[in-house]
Amino acid sequence: MPVFDRTLPEDLSPALRRAFVGPDRDAFVQARDRLNGAGYGAGIGRAFTSAAPRVAAHAGPDEAIALAGDASRLAIKARPRVAAAYLDLCPVIALKLDDATRFRQWRGVIGRVLAQSPAAAGVLVAGGQTLLDRLGLDPFAAWVETGLRLSGGENRLALAYFRLETPESRRILARHAGDVTFPALESGLKAFYTALWGHAPALREAGTEAAQGPVRRTTFSNGLILMPSAFAGFRGQEAQLYRAAIAHVGAHHAHGGARFPVGQLKPMQIAVISLIEDARVETLAMRDMPGLLRLWAPFHTARPDGLATAQALFAGLARGLIDPDFCPAHGWVRKGVEMFQAAAPRLEDPAISREIGNILGNDLGQVRVQFDPLSYVVQPAYRDDNLGLWDLPDDPESAAAPQSFDIDTADARQSELTDAPQDQKHEQTSPDQIEPVRLMAADPEAGRKLISLPEYDYHAGIERDDWVQVTAHDPVPGAPGFWEALRARHDTTITRLQTVIAASQAGTRRRLKRQAEGEALDLDAALDAAIAVRANRQPDPNVYARIQPPARSIAVHLILDISQSTADSAGPGLSILDMERDAAGILAGTMCGLGDDLAMSAFSSCGRHDVRVIPVKAFGAPLTEATGAALAGLRPAYSTRIGAALRFAADSLEQLSRHRRFVLLVTDGAPSDIDVSDPEYLVADARRAVQRMRARGIDALCVSLGQDEGQRQTEIFGRKSCLRISDVATLPGKLSAFYLRMTR
Amino acid sequence: MSLDSYRLDREPAYYPSADEIALYEAAYQMRLPVMLKGPTGCGKTRFVEHMAWKLGKPLITVACHEDMTASDFVGRYLLGPDGTYWQDGPLTRAVREGGICYLDEIVEARQDTTVIIHALTDDRRILPLEKKGELVHAHPDFQLVISYNPGYQSVLKDLKESTKQRFCALDFDYPAAPIEAGIVASEAGLNRQDAERLIKIAGKSRNLRGKGLDEGASTRMLIHAGRLMAAGLPIAEACQFALITPITDDPEIRSTLRAAVDACL
Repeated sequence: MPVFDRTLPEDLSPALRRAFVGPDRDAFVQARDRLNGAGYGAGIGRAFTSAAPRVAAHAGPDEAIALAGDASRLAIKARPRVAAAYLDLCPVIALKLDDATRFRQWRGVIGRVLAQSPAAAGVLVAGGQTLLDRLGLDPFAAWVETGLRLSGGENRLALAYFRLETPESRRILARHAGDVTFPALESGLKAFYTALWGHAPALREAGTEAAQGPVRRTTFSNGLILMPSAFAGFRGQEAQLYRAAIAHVGAHHAHGGARFPVGQLKPMQIAVISLIEDARVETLAMRDMPGLLRLWAPFHTARPDGLATAQALFAGLARGLIDPDFCPAHGWVRKGVEMFQAAAPRLEDPAISREIGNILGNDLGQVRVQFDPLSYVVQPAYRDDNLGLWDLPDDPESAAAPQSFDIDTADARQSELTDAPQDQKHEQTSPDQIEPVRLMAADPEAGRKLISLPEYDYHAGIERDDWVQVTAHDPVPGAPGFWEALRARHDTTITRLQTVIAASQAGTRRRLKRQAEGEALDLDAALDAAIAVRANRQPDPNVYARIQPPARSIAVHLILDISQSTADSAGPGLSILDMERDAAGILAGTMCGLGDDLAMSAFSSCGRHDVRVIPVKAFGAPLTEATGAALAGLRPAYSTRIGAALRFAADSLEQLSRHRRFVLLVTDGAPSDIDVSDPEYLVADARRAVQRMRARGIDALCVSLGQDEGQRQTEIFGRKSCLRISDVATLPGKLSAFYLRMTR
Repeated sequence: MSLDSYRLDREPAYYPSADEIALYEAAYQMRLPVMLKGPTGCGKTRFVEHMAWKLGKPLITVACHEDMTASDFVGRYLLGPDGTYWQDGPLTRAVREGGICYLDEIVEARQDTTVIIHALTDDRRILPLEKKGELVHAHPDFQLVISYNPGYQSVLKDLKESTKQRFCALDFDYPAAPIEAGIVASEAGLNRQDAERLIKIAGKSRNLRGKGLDEGASTRMLIHAGRLMAAGLPIAEACQFALITPITDDPEIRSTLRAAVDACL
């Protein structure tokens, strides 16, 4: 039975007495006693007693006392061990943040993770300090929030995210940390490679398919170049490093020969031969472009008098081979440099890499320099992992040995931050376990993948690329005879609209006067000009008149919300969707009459991985019986992810050149989806989508159906661009009228 | 009114890349209209000038732009102190008095205005002045030359098929590296070695044609850079000033070009 610390308030240590005064002291003792009595083990109480005064010093006594509650929750939901680690961490964090509010915010972040995924809270506590060091508090909170949203409450996904096991989580971390990562540089790198070598490279980010820990070096094979998402430890030099790396690969492509057979070579020989080959292709490339030396040289940081470890010798040799001013102290490096210089006349021949490498590799073997292929990582960082140089056997068993080249350890300059989470014990997670969250079984007749769209997270204040997957589903034909039935149901509306269209100015020709060019003289202008000439004034040369053809140039993408809620009744025997259908049909007829271009799509969503779009009518397609059948076949299902639908529709309009382009949304409620619990999130995202498309010159209008309460459309679209129709039965008439008004 | 002021009194320097001079001479002998295709700044205009000088004919050049109308080519009625009078346009002058009319970047002009050259470019060789009610028969020395750059904007702007098929065409491109180095060296007054470095840099920028740049650095740009170097600027600054900054506004491509220039030096 452990002996608990049950000192009375007045017997506390001086530090505690200083930290907790008056009622705080009683509160502290109570909290400590509760913690001690809860049976989490003696360590927790001791950790609390130790942490509390130090936290109180930087974040105030209230925060310090509140730690007892936190520890208790952690011990129950996660493990007592995690609670103890948390209490050990708190003083460090409090010292770092040195502010009660900010410390409370940090506690809140841990608390939210604990509520959603207790195991992940343990990971976060273990790596919390380094993450906070790297990110700062607000980006840290945003990164955590992203992880919670990404995992959708699923423990396995949350663990993978917080352990930085998925490329996505690493990428998001890098972005929050403000690192310059591969996606930001990709197009520039492609252009740089193209400029130097005359053809565009097939360039990809490494590690997006496999989740085997971070890739640290560039790799290439079969024409494909894979680059790491980020190079850790090179902050501020990222652009140069990536450029150096792509130029190095280009040198291999331009001056490299056939792949070397591996044969009986030992890993150390392979490493040395690769190193010589790297220097050979670089030297050749520098003959053509001497400035490349200035690009590569800064990354060669080996010192002439480094230790005689394999890693240091290799780095020294690499530098010695391309840096003419480098004077290596080690004889082996000097020998390598001399042999390489002696082979200069045959530099075009890749065989010299093998010859020199073999000899140097043997030398190194004889002096018993230890070489561990598992921990070897090619230096300097811009060089590739050499896998592309070797003709590796195909079968996975024998490929395992050379593959080990790819397993790198952190180089000395790398910050420990990025590597810390990998150092923890991994659970057995195979890559296919880290599947994107799928909260509902997808339709067996799943649609075609159409496009990946970004989504805006107002919490983090970032737009996440490729966050939402849009799939296209073929329309299911409904009952035939839609147009006749529509005509029968809404005869008066359609007739009235036809009169309005006929009376409207749409489609008329206009006579333009005082033009610089035209088919006829504008008599008024000509007279004025003649008068001006006689009065010795400068005449206005615009004396022509011409006829302007109809100027209406409008394209609209109408998107219909067919979420489950549109199945609600809108009148006797009619659902909201029935009304939407009719309204869409009438509007399509109206637009045909005006000669405007229309596309129609219906959308619903089932989480971010499954935003479904049913194309009812494409731009330029005629209004046919099939369009009617597609409209009639729409069935309500799933949820409403408005932002994604808007972005999809805006993308389709982007390619059209019209004076006015807009997306017209008909919806019956606020945005919602099954994988989003925060009601603000999708509203903020939709608002962002509207802002973005307006910036691109595509307007967004919304017709919202139903009663006022819970409607957020005016926040998303703005008051003027919104029409609310509380009596859904009047929608068919009002939609077209709204359209005419907005396009006048 | 004679076209004497349009005659070239000095030989414009031109360095032939292939047999374009002989081809052009043959076309002129038969008074066939000629189309010069090729990227901007590769020497099309210089070639026409050289040929006009060689053949001893006046050269009327019209730089086409998108507000150009038929009247800008053929002429228009203007209001004078004594009422309206007719003013011949550049094309009409060349047709009447026998010169080479060079319509530079013809695709820039509106398509409906380019059809006025149709009757001039087949065996009729006539120019109807619709507004004046006159039919001008071309002078025996008259020849029409147009230039167009198929590279950029070709999706939006292209010649009508009926226009294209009336012309013989010469394909121009940047000269081969040794010839181009010679051109840059002599036009800019630069030593051969520096000229060759500029050509190498230009090659890098031309690799980006259609992949970030509409056009690579032209020979004209290189001559500009070369002249700046002759005036004492270091090569990197001359390239930045005369090549990189003018050629693109995209900061990423600029930085790429800077890095590529740097790699060549």
